Order: sequence, then structure tokens, then C-alpha cells
Amino acid sequence: MKKSLFVCFILVALLASPLFAQGGGEASSPKIGFMGPMSGDYANYGVLSNNSTMLAVEQFNAKGGFGGKVPVVLVTEDSEGNVEKGLSAIEKLSSVDNIAGLVGPVFTGVSFAVGERVQSEGIVMISPSATHADITSIGDYVFRTVVSDGLQGEVAGNYFYGELGYRNIGVLYAKNDYSQGLYEGMTAAFEAAGGKVTIAESFQVGDKDFKTQLTKIRSEKPEAIYIPNYTAEMAQILEQATQLGMDIPFLSCDGFSNPEIYDLAGDFTDGVIYVGPAKVKESPAYSDFVAQYEAKFDVSPDSFATNAYDGANILLQAMDKVYKETGKFDRSAIRDAVAATKDYAGVSGTINFAENGDLVAYQGLYKVNGTTPEYLGSYTVVDGVLTQVD
Amino acid sequence: MLNFFLLILIYSGIYALMAIGQNVITGYGGMLSLTQAGFFAIGSYATAILTTQAGWSFWATLPVAFLISALFGLAIGLPTLRLKGDYLAIATLGFGEIVRNVLNNWDSLTNGPMGIQRIPMPVILGYTINPYKKYAFLVMVIVFVIIAYILFQRLARSRMGRALAAVREDEIAAQSMGINITKYKVYAFILGASVAGIAGSLQAAFTLSVTPGTYTFMVSVMVLCMVVLGGMGNFKASILGAFIIQFISYFPQLTGLSSVIPPQFKQILFGLILVVMMIWRPQGILGREATRYRKRAVSTTGGEQ
Amino acid sequence: MGIAEFFQHLMNGLTLGGIYALIALGYTMVYGILKFINFAHGDILMAGAYIGLFVFDGLRGDAPLGTWTMIAFFLAMLISMGFSAILGMSIERIAYKPLRGATRLAPLLSAIGVSFILSNSAAWAFGTHSRKFNYPFDNTPVHIGDVVITPHQILILSVSLIMMIILKLFIDKTRMGKAMRATSLDQGTAMLMGINVNRVISMTFAIGSALAAVGGILIALDFKVYATMGTMTGLKAFVAAVVGGIGNISGAMFGGILLGLLETFGVAIFGIPTGLKDTIAFGVLILILLIKPEGLFGKVEKEKV
Repeated sequence: MKKSLFVCFILVALLASPLFAQGGGEASSPKIGFMGPMSGDYANYGVLSNNSTMLAVEQFNAKGGFGGKVPVVLVTEDSEGNVEKGLSAIEKLSSVDNIAGLVGPVFTGVSFAVGERVQSEGIVMISPSATHADITSIGDYVFRTVVSDGLQGEVAGNYFYGELGYRNIGVLYAKNDYSQGLYEGMTAAFEAAGGKVTIAESFQVGDKDFKTQLTKIRSEKPEAIYIPNYTAEMAQILEQATQLGMDIPFLSCDGFSNPEIYDLAGDFTDGVIYVGPAKVKESPAYSDFVAQYEAKFDVSPDSFATNAYDGANILLQAMDKVYKETGKFDRSAIRDAVAATKDYAGVSGTINFAENGDLVAYQGLYKVNGTTPEYLGSYTVVDGVLTQVD
Repeated sequence: MLNFFLLILIYSGIYALMAIGQNVITGYGGMLSLTQAGFFAIGSYATAILTTQAGWSFWATLPVAFLISALFGLAIGLPTLRLKGDYLAIATLGFGEIVRNVLNNWDSLTNGPMGIQRIPMPVILGYTINPYKKYAFLVMVIVFVIIAYILFQRLARSRMGRALAAVREDEIAAQSMGINITKYKVYAFILGASVAGIAGSLQAAFTLSVTPGTYTFMVSVMVLCMVVLGGMGNFKASILGAFIIQFISYFPQLTGLSSVIPPQFKQILFGLILVVMMIWRPQGILGREATRYRKRAVSTTGGEQ
Repeated sequence: MGIAEFFQHLMNGLTLGGIYALIALGYTMVYGILKFINFAHGDILMAGAYIGLFVFDGLRGDAPLGTWTMIAFFLAMLISMGFSAILGMSIERIAYKPLRGATRLAPLLSAIGVSFILSNSAAWAFGTHSRKFNYPFDNTPVHIGDVVITPHQILILSVSLIMMIILKLFIDKTRMGKAMRATSLDQGTAMLMGINVNRVISMTFAIGSALAAVGGILIALDFKVYATMGTMTGLKAFVAAVVGGIGNISGAMFGGILLGLLETFGVAIFGIPTGLKDTIAFGVLILILLIKPEGLFGKVEKEKV
């Protein structure tokens, strides 16, 4: 008898738990959501971008909020980097918090699942870092403030072939959605231009020892090695390549734009050429953002966090516009306002969305000198031809 | 709020299926297996691949998911039966990791780390069970749980259930009573695996998108916890355990605490519950279900160990 | 494959194996005495690495490489070993001791719980980014023909070898070691013989955890310090310990090296895609367990009727 009472108690407590939740919410403040991996192996990427979103929200509220009087509330949920938790997070954000828009998710795999869901719910979503080419084809509610693998890969492949003159290169990529997407994008463009990826080695998420792969690549003697990965892994690769006495130029991707790389890899970064956001380093808005970010969170933002900041601001601006016009926060009106974003002067550059919600942007090329990236120029690809725009 | 609540119920139901399978293996068979995530993944991918690439309907993929998981259950069960306790745990853990590793690398079939998207929704008699709408899907999951419960409950009371109980308590004694240990252990493994495969199919039909990242070691641990928390050798308890663990893990989100407390607290809480549970009530909430034969004379509830 | 490439792979495999061996020693020591998989071992390693990092950075300040950095490194290691020993003993006292005599499942789950608590607390307290642990010595690689080796690699191999020998001598020759072996054979009888079993077990955890700290710091030099650093490496090291025959100290060393070499040569010679490295590790584990369930050097435990 005692036992069944105990069971009943637990069940009642669990079932009743949502009731407590209803208490504290202020119905008047509109909410926006952020979703990304906040715990686990990839937590750092979720945390960095969430920081930016928090910063954007705080600054927006400091200016008075919507129409100068209504503050916005940010709700952050953990996707744990997997589809199952990502879906429960979006369900929570949509049905409990009734968010007006979403910044995130951070990764491609989760973004596919969540994208379909926000599309069906009619919630606008702006991902700062889901790079897979097909993400924005989910529907008209899906936007991103990061360029797709397709574009980045195209610029990378054509630049490596045309401007740097490489004919055969090796690749070392991680078996995750981001890294593999870039590898495939770059390879397609590089080989279409006439080059050849002579060796492509991969590794598992969480691996820290890349000597086997590097030794294999070394024996193929490629002219350069493309390493489209996240910061921690790239630092590892650069260091271990030096330990193996490899004197081959390294090429990289926007993951390299996280200044943390210089803490982790130090001098090993010298000479790396990477594709990153166009020309952000020179804008005062960008340096202001970095200064505020660092002052508040004690870490530096990476390029995805920069994108998240712009994404959050675009979303807030769209909501503000809709609120001023209608006094409400209608989800489809907000989506239209986001889509109508024109020449938004963001910290990551000037932002326009293409018809499908993709970011229209150029790609910057950087070469690291010691531990300082030097801007080489901005490029885009027009009809398969690499074109310098700046 | 309601939609989120329904989603948790659906996930709980899917995990309850896995827990039922785990209970056959661990609660009845006494084998410490840590590989439900592997069978879960196999079921999910079977449904995902067959529906998207071969154009099968969800219902047609179910028996395939069932059979493939059962086959893998046989393949992993038969040889690992020589192993005991911790060794078995490690070997099965290894198998789960291998499954995930292979799924992540077999790009031509599984699309690697990108996963498989746009899995069609299940259709029954012209009615689409839309996972976004939840109710119909929840009913479907509940039906599956009830069917599994009834089948396994009957099984537990059959000759096989009794034989497994005997094997668990004392292998050598059971063997000398003429029980074919290997046969029953392998049966338990196959059954446990196949029901996890079905859970995987349901998961794929619910999330409509599968990536290897979902099927981690953590899933196997959670399922084992569900069985232990509820009470081993008791199917009702496994289902209860699944619901409790799911609700605990969504507790911060349900109460709105998730945006206030650090995200790690959820996992810390989960760890604490595990430790406290083991110290305080290692036999689980309900304890082992005593099989009653004719008279209700024997009452040995909670007598595990 | 050229000769140089072969030897380079051999060198890589040996040092990777050395890393596994270094961690496997701690695992195997605790298991050998208590017959219990300390799943939290990898997380104690992580805690040890963080403490080592903080102490080392604090002591070193801006000093250039030299004698002082070596002294600071050594001190950091000692302090970290002490800290980890206390951590290990406390964990044993709180989470494992109440479970002595319970089923095998209980301490295993409790250990998994402790592992969650430790790694997530670290992520919460120290942040989610990796931190660099600077080499206290000049790590310029040495070229032997076309084969390259770093001082750090030599250090790892020699430290694991030295630790193995010390550990073996300690267990075989000292009074405490004798008490440990007695406890391992039969706790009850050991107690009757006047051995303070509680103290012996505490000691085992202290030593195992101090070993983990040494491993953590040495690995951190190469792999950096982050909250989940113990998880996968710990799991692989555990595989190594099982392969070598868990509980057997030289077996753990051998298992570690073997695993490192297999992972390296599996992808280097047999042309297995490098993404499947983990599959090799776990595949070998399952294979070895099937052929020799007690591991390569493990003792066969006879089951008494």
C-alpha cells in the first residue's frame, strides 16, 4: 500500500509540474528563442552564439525595447546537438513560450529537423551557423546569417585553384555535418576547376590524435592541406602537423575566425590561409561588438557568434517594425519583415537575404601572419568564375 | 504547453518500448547489456532509409526494422553470452558505439553525419498520423506500448519467463534442471533488441529526420536507468521508469527553469538521481514483480539481490 | 608504404597506445582489487588535469621555459595527484561504499551518475572551451631520418612504463599491496585476518585517482584541457584494460599499446577509412572477449557450484 501511494505521489508531482510553470510568465513581453548545444562536446559553439543573442537582447532592451516601451525576453534551450532534443526544445519554445522568432539552431543536422517544424508552425528562424546548402530550401520561414557550404566551398575551391595555383591538395575533415559539408563543397569546386583532391582523411568527433591521418596525408605529398574544422580540432591538427615535421601550407574555413585558435595553437597558425566573413575586421561596428562581448563574457566571439548577433538584431528589428505598424507581434508579418531586410549594416557586414532565405554575402580571404590575420580581399563566384569584389 | 507535454509523453512511450526490451534482457535474463541505443539506431535507420530511398510505407518498414534488429540481437547475443557481468556490459557498449560509428561513416547509405531528412509521415487507412499534431501519434505510440506490454507480460509468465528467472538466479542450478541456458538467453536478447528496433522506427516517424548524433551511449544508459529505477523484472515498472526519467529530464523545461539555470544542471541532476537511487532504493520504485502461481501465498516483492 | 612512413606510423601508434596504457593502469588497478568498473575514472582524470593546469599556470606566471617551469610542472602534478586522491576517496566514500554487497549493477550505475556529475560540473564551473596546457619543456620534435618524434611522446611512453613497474612492485612487494591482494581475493576473510578493508579500499581509490591525475596532465599537454576530455579517452583506455585482462597491470600496459597500434595500423595498412578507427578499437575488444573472455592476460575465474 505504501508503495503505491509513493508511486501515485511521484506521478502526481510530475504531472502537476507544468502547472507551476504557468505562474511566473509575464504575458505582455514578447519572447524570442535561442537554440544550440549548451552542454556536451559541442557546447562551446552554442554558448558563444547564445552570448551574442543575450548581448543583442540586452542592448535592445536598454534602448527601451519595442516602440520604446516593450522589452523582449530571450529564452534559451539546449539542443544537445541532436535531433531528438532539438525537437523537444523547439516544441517547448513554440508551445510554452510562444516565441515570435528563433535564433539558431547551430548545427545542420538539428536545423533540418527544427526547420521543418518552424516552417509548419510559422515561426521565423535565423540560423547563425547551419551551413548545409539545402537548409534554406526547407521553406520561406528559414533564414540564415551564414553563407552556405555551397558558396564557401565554391569560393574556397576556386581561390585555391585560381589564385593560389594549387593543383593537388589533401583534406582532413571531421565526420560531422559542418566539416563534411565544407569538404564536399570545396572538393566539388576545386575539381570542377581542374584540380584534384588527392587524399581526403576523416576523423570522429572527439578525436584529438590526428597523427595517423596526417602521416598518411604527408606520404601523398599534396601541395596544401585543407582543414575545414572547428577551432579546437584545427589547433590540434596544426600542432601535430608541426610535430610530424610537415612543412605544407594549411588552408581553412570560417571556423578559423575564432580568436581562440591563437590561444590554443599559438605560432602554428602562421601562414594559414582561410576563407571567412567578408571584411569585418575593418568595421568599427565590429570592433565595438567584440569589445562589448569580451567585456561581458570574458571570451572572444567566433564568426558564428558574430552571425548570431546580426541574426538576433535582424529579428528584433523586424519585430519592432511589425509592432510599430500593427501593435502586435504577428508571426507571418515578422517573417515578411525579416525577408524584406535590405542592406542591413551588421557587424558581420552588409546583410541581404536571397529569395530562398540564404545570406547574400561575399567571402573574405585571410592569411595569418604570426597570430594576426591579414585581409586579402573579398570574393564571390559568378557563373562559376571567381570574382574579386573588394 | 499542451504540445510540449504531448511530445514528452510520446518520447516517454518510445523509450518505454526500449525499456521493456531492456527489462527482458536485464531484468529477466540478468544480462547487463548497454546496447539498446544500437538497436534503436538500427530501427530508426531501417525506417528512414526504406521510406526515403525505396519509397516504402512506414508500416512496411516496421517488420523489417523488427527483423534486422532481431538479427543483430542474435549476432551480438549469441557470441557475447560467454561473457558475464561487467564484461558483457563493455562488449555490448562497444557494439553500440560500432553501430553509431558505422552509421556516421557509411555515407552512401546513411548520408553520414548529415543524416536523413524528409521521412514521410505514417499513413493509416488514408489518415496521416502527423507528428506535428501529436494526438494521433501519441495514440499510436500508446497502442504500441500496450501491445508490447501484453505480449511481454504473457511471455514472462510462460515457460520462457520462468526459465530465464531460474537462469538469472543460478545458472548452474538451472542448467542441472535441464534448462537450455544459451537458448533462453539468446531469446531474451533477440526479443529485447527487436522491440528496441520498433521503438527506433517510431522515433524516425516522429522526428522525421535522423542523424547519428541521437543514438549515443547516453541513450543506452538512460534506458537501463529506466529499468532499474522502476524495478527490475517488472514490465509495469519499466514503463513507469521510462515516464519518470523522461519527465525528470524535461523537468527544467517544463517548469521554465531551463532558461534560468545553467544547462549542465540537468545532467548533474540526472547523475545525482542515479547515485541517490542506487544508495537509497537499488531495487527500484516498484521492485521485482512476484510471479503468483495459483494461491497468492508467496510475497517476495522487492527481494532482488 | 615506405619504410619511413611505416616507422612513423609505428611511433604514432606506440605513443597513442602509451596514452591508453597510462589511463588503463588506473582502471585496472581499481578493478583488480574491487571487481568494479569505475566509470568516473576518466572524469577524475579531467579534474586532475584542470587542477594541474591552474596550479601550473599560477606558479609559472610569465617565466620562460627552463628549470623553474619544470619544477612548477612537477609541483602542479604533485598537488593535482593529492587533490585527485582526495576526490577519488570521497567519491568512493559517498557513492560506492554504501553499495558494497549490492548487485553488480548498482555500483556501475552509481559510477555512471558520478561521471555525469563531475563532467557537467566542470563544464559549468570552468566553461565549455578548451584550455591550453603549455609544455613545461621544449617540445621541439627530434628527427631520426624521416621519422619524427617529440620529447612529449618519449615522456608519455616512459612514464607509463615506470608507473607500471612501480605499481607492480607496490602490489607485489609492499604490506599494503599484500593487503590489497588479500582484499581482492576475499573481503570477508581479509577482514578476519585483521586487514582494515575500508582503509585498503580507500587507498586503492587514492592511488588509482592519483594515477589518473598524472595521466590527465600528461595527456592535457597534447590534447588540451576540457570538460569532456576524460570520456572517450577513458572509454578507450578501459577497452585497453579489458583487452589486457582487466585487473592485470602489465596486461593493461600491453593492451594499451596493442590498441594504439591496431588503431593506427588498421587505418594505415589495411586501408580501413580513418573514420572507422573507433570501430576497430571496439571490434577488437569484442573479438578478444569472444576468444578469451578473461582478456589476454586475465585469470580464468572458476565458478564454484
